[in-house]
Amino acid sequence: MAKADTETRQFPYLPDSDVVAVQRGPEPGGIKGAYRVFGETLRGLKTTMARMIEGPVTIQYPEEKTAVYPRFRGRHKLHRFEDTGLEKCVGCSLCAAACPADCIRVVAAENDPANRVSAGERYAAVYEINLSRCIFCGYCEVACPFDAITMGHDYEMADYNRGDLIFTKEMLLAEPIERTPLRVEGE
Amino acid sequence: MSGGRSAPAHGADVIARTSAEVVGTSPVERTGADEAFEIEQELMTINLGPHHPATHGVLRLLVALEGEVVRDLKPIIGYVHTGIEKNCEEKSYWKAIPFVERMDYLSYFFNAQAFCGCVEKLLELDIPPRAKYLRVIHLELNRLHSHLVWLGTSALDLGAMSMFFYCFRDRDRILDIFEMSTGQRMHTRYFQVGGVIQDIPLGFERKLRAFLKEFPSRVDQYEALLTNNEIFLHRTKDIGIVPRERLLELGVTGPLLRAAGEPWDLRKVSPYLAYGDFDFKIPIGTVGDGWDRFIVRIQEMRESVKIIEQALDGLPEGPWIADDRKVVLPPRHELGTSMESLIHHFKLVTEGFRVPPGEVYYPIEAPRGELGCFIVADGSAKPARVHFREPSFVNLQALRDMCVGDYVADLIMNLAMLDPVLGGIDR
Repeated sequence: MAKADTETRQFPYLPDSDVVAVQRGPEPGGIKGAYRVFGETLRGLKTTMARMIEGPVTIQYPEEKTAVYPRFRGRHKLHRFEDTGLEKCVGCSLCAAACPADCIRVVAAENDPANRVSAGERYAAVYEINLSRCIFCGYCEVACPFDAITMGHDYEMADYNRGDLIFTKEMLLAEPIERTPLRVEGE
Repeated sequence: MSGGRSAPAHGADVIARTSAEVVGTSPVERTGADEAFEIEQELMTINLGPHHPATHGVLRLLVALEGEVVRDLKPIIGYVHTGIEKNCEEKSYWKAIPFVERMDYLSYFFNAQAFCGCVEKLLELDIPPRAKYLRVIHLELNRLHSHLVWLGTSALDLGAMSMFFYCFRDRDRILDIFEMSTGQRMHTRYFQVGGVIQDIPLGFERKLRAFLKEFPSRVDQYEALLTNNEIFLHRTKDIGIVPRERLLELGVTGPLLRAAGEPWDLRKVSPYLAYGDFDFKIPIGTVGDGWDRFIVRIQEMRESVKIIEQALDGLPEGPWIADDRKVVLPPRHELGTSMESLIHHFKLVTEGFRVPPGEVYYPIEAPRGELGCFIVADGSAKPARVHFREPSFVNLQALRDMCVGDYVADLIMNLAMLDPVLGGIDR
């Protein structure tokens, strides 16, 4: 029944003008097939050889780093105010709430007025990101109302122990040892 | 060769001889009375996969072989099951977007669009025209990227090594474009409920146009390398034909169905986003063999380039995300000045937006077929149930119909032209 149904069915949903039938291409075998075995193989080799003048598209990776675009989301960074040196993070835990992978742990504490850590009333006593769980979606950056956490540009984060992939506040605040090269917009 | 008979020198010998002759040569003499048992004796069951370079992921195929001919085939899946659908029930709607992107890892924009479109339908939220166009541009670039990976790996399965390098070179340029506009090469979470999260950066259009100008000539090159290759023709032509009616019965969609001559493409049939504005054709095949599946996808790449060019030409100005403060995060510059915006921001980030109760199924045309998202909302900020109709999962059913009766080498070709993505099948 299903067969008769589809055979009699017209296709009102797609007029013929919207459809283009693809070409069937040559049939294999025969004299033309014998030609293709040699002729077309040589022509294919010509295509391959012609790529030589284009030069390589690969880079010598460990020596030469891949440049990333400004929007690239790499390892997180915590920020300080440039003038006062106080941490921007006030320990509101909004990043931890936004994280789909639940990889951020924030424990907030009250600021001591004599020895302030952050600009707000509270600061993050513990700020840990488990980079082995992080999926680099950047929701923490979107969620942070104070621009305290941003996604940096570093992408070399491999390590030998899982424990070393839990980044503490000091590690996230520190400047990276080696800067990742940045592509200019439009390049 | 296992089984209770002498091993033949060549697999082809077995096919040349009839099964009765093979049984006759068996050292264990049996009469025709126990025929079922004899056939059982001839078959050899092998595992193809789960770790096999030609299975495009961790797909395990239990194949019953008679010599070199496939007599039965059973896909066994679940090796990369991640429980994403269940995980989504624990996450608020906006936090589920990065999750669903990771199902079918070659069509992440499509996964996000299916999910976001479904939620927008539940919310009855209209997205601005610029967001629609930006989404179309990224979706079609993603289709190119997905088809390039398919072309490279499939040609590699059939023995064409250089295609793999060429395709991945061009794929990398697309990923560069994604990195420029969204910040990530894969799993970009660029689509948000209500639009896209950021406008495209300066220089994006120039970079994209340079790519679009060069890309059609690349497709011509790739096509020329394969379409006249005698080995490729022998491997693909008239092999793996499944009748259109059978494909429809199995629920197969996408290029597989179109290769069999059924002009079914959701971009045309029920235009979503801005697909109604663009002029493009649906390539369909005539026979439905491996060749048609190949050439239909090649043509689709050309049509995708046309769509992107038109979308780029007609890209409207305006906002790129809806201005609904109950759903969409407020703009960042307002956070420092407006208390109301800050409250909305906190509310949306911690709890998420609430979606009115209801059920919606929202299908889109992914590179592999109809990708549908079904969400049951119960009025809270988290979905009660999320289900995806994955095209790879449904299309995989057709593999048995394609392969039974053909050589085991054709199984590899059929699987390559089926283009399954195991992340999508197992979810």
